[in-house]
Amino acid sequence: MSPVGAQDRFVERLDRHRGILQKISSAYCSEPAGREDLRQEIVVQLLRGYPRFDERMAFSTWMYRVALNVAISYARRRRRTDARVELAEPGLIETLSASPAPPPDERIERILAFVNKLDELNRALMLLYLDDYPHAEIATILGITKSNVATKISRIKDRLKRDVAARPTT
Amino acid sequence: MELDELKAIWTGDDHRLERMLRLNAEVLRQLSVRRSGRSLRPFFGGTILELVLDFAGILLIGSFAADHYAEPAFFVPALLLGAYAIAIFAAVLNQAVALAAIRYDEPVVAIQGRLEALRVRRIQTTLGILLFAPLMWVPLAIVVARGFFGVDLYLVANPGWLAANGLFGLAVIPAAIFVARRFGPHLRESSLGRALADEIAGRSLAAALDDLAAIGRFAADG
Repeated sequence: MSPVGAQDRFVERLDRHRGILQKISSAYCSEPAGREDLRQEIVVQLLRGYPRFDERMAFSTWMYRVALNVAISYARRRRRTDARVELAEPGLIETLSASPAPPPDERIERILAFVNKLDELNRALMLLYLDDYPHAEIATILGITKSNVATKISRIKDRLKRDVAARPTT
Repeated sequence: MELDELKAIWTGDDHRLERMLRLNAEVLRQLSVRRSGRSLRPFFGGTILELVLDFAGILLIGSFAADHYAEPAFFVPALLLGAYAIAIFAAVLNQAVALAAIRYDEPVVAIQGRLEALRVRRIQTTLGILLFAPLMWVPLAIVVARGFFGVDLYLVANPGWLAANGLFGLAVIPAAIFVARRFGPHLRESSLGRALADEIAGRSLAAALDDLAAIGRFAADG
């Protein structure tokens, strides 16, 4: 495939899975400028790695691997330096002008609040689980065994139950 | 709320995102144009300059040592400086090569483990450079005075001055650790100052080792 053709194919695939960019940046960064910075960093690494992309693998699986690696490194770096990002550049992902402003979904915010309490690696596991990835594929993306995935999901379930039980009723 | 309920809500959000969001093609095009520069930004951030300067220093010291190999009073300080510079060069080069070899499309736990191990090595190297630097002050003064100005510091400065500087260099090391431990956490205004203090005090190393251990625990079964 010509470089231009490969580039078009990349953009098309990236566009189809843009939700992954949005979800991972929301899970690993709380401030909007930081999220945009993280999305751009993820896309740069995706662009860099795309020539080596193995077509036998699902694009979304490969994209998750790259995106999670970049996001976890980014979150660690921010945690250590406590740095703030101020981007003057336009965003990589924009809200369609024809659509109304995205209404804040309280349930999604609650999920993100729970996900954000987890450490960076368990957060990655949780994102994959929530996106309905089978255990075998989660194991492939993270590089751990399938039984380890099952154990950790079971622990997260227990933690969620405790979290819900501990929350004051309104 | 059960985890499976969360999953249903989360998956349902995909359709909402698809309807509302789109990729900004112009930003993507700009990113692809400058991708190499940006993707290598952390790698090139000062590392290449550090290697070039260090290499130039090794050449100068080597040339000085060759010129004075028959004069132990100058050859030995040059040898110490040369060993210090070569150790720094080797450590920085080793880390730069390891960092450049990182591929983000490999399994997450393996990559995060390698990145964290690299961070531990980088902190140890910085710590070594900083803590040995005061000891290099006297050899550096002897070599620079002779090499650049033709001055024999053994004749100009009395032995007491040289010995006092050597002792001062030794005393600076525990003093720097004390100051970094005592005052580092208060350097809120200067992130660079706090980072340096954290490295000297060993806090950064402890945090990196904790993170590395956490990755190991995550990877372990059960």
